[in-house]
Amino acid sequence: MREAFPLVQLETLVTAQTVFYYMAAASVVTALLAVTRKNPVHSMLWVLALFVHMAGMFLLLDAEFLAAVQIIVYAGAILIFYLFVVMLLDLPDEHVRPRFEQHWPYAAFVGLSFAAMAWLVRTDIHFFEGGGLAKSQVAVPSSVTTDVPTPGSLEDLGIELFGPFALPFEMASLVLLAAIVGAVVLVRRRGVGA
Amino acid sequence: MIVPLETILGLSAVLFGIGAFGFLARRNIILMFVSSEIMLNAVNLSLIGFSCYLEDSRGQVLALFVIAVAAAEAAVGLGLVIALNRNRPGVGVGDLTELKW
Repeated sequence: MREAFPLVQLETLVTAQTVFYYMAAASVVTALLAVTRKNPVHSMLWVLALFVHMAGMFLLLDAEFLAAVQIIVYAGAILIFYLFVVMLLDLPDEHVRPRFEQHWPYAAFVGLSFAAMAWLVRTDIHFFEGGGLAKSQVAVPSSVTTDVPTPGSLEDLGIELFGPFALPFEMASLVLLAAIVGAVVLVRRRGVGA
Repeated sequence: MIVPLETILGLSAVLFGIGAFGFLARRNIILMFVSSEIMLNAVNLSLIGFSCYLEDSRGQVLALFVIAVAAAEAAVGLGLVIALNRNRPGVGVGDLTELKW
């Protein structure tokens, strides 16, 4: 929790909670619509709504940079890429075929059991409370906190990315390079320019 | 932290379940990829929830890496879809039986 947190008025907190619960409900509804709609373009647009609501939740969870990345990269780049491919492929038989395989009840069972497992583990979360990780490892003396960047700010994230996470960051760029080369090699027409 | 961590993890679990259901049940390969994006987003949500709860920005760095891997996966996966679609039209996974043997 930030230092300024106790100064936040109660009405502000309640408003933020209301907005969060709205976004939680909307994200579940849009995700369900996205996996059940028949028209792929409609599915994509529901996923777009899901990503925007996700970005709002990131914003409320003190992850401003990740919210921006979610909008720019997910909603702006990845989803538009999916939409381009859907429109490029011209799927004529999508409306006449069943959208689910015969085995969809099993798939629903697997999805529900995944959710149930994670939901059950969720209640063990008090493991982290009571002198656990939260307080001891990030114990910053209150006299220094004015110099420490706010957790979740772009400054703090940059310090992490170019400090302890410098090697994984470079690995991420390598993964992206491999993906670019792989995509070009896969889509390239045989015999043209080779 | 405006909501308890349990709420965030529960929401993440529900979204992951929806994504898993979509991945297993849909027969359109593009929508299967999109369902996997929903699952990755659910994981991102729990990472950011932990980051907010523990007041530690390492969770957000990991979420950033997850986004990078999702972008790579989308590029390669959709490249595969286009390459497959060139050989035989359609995006139903039930038709793609050449890889069986």
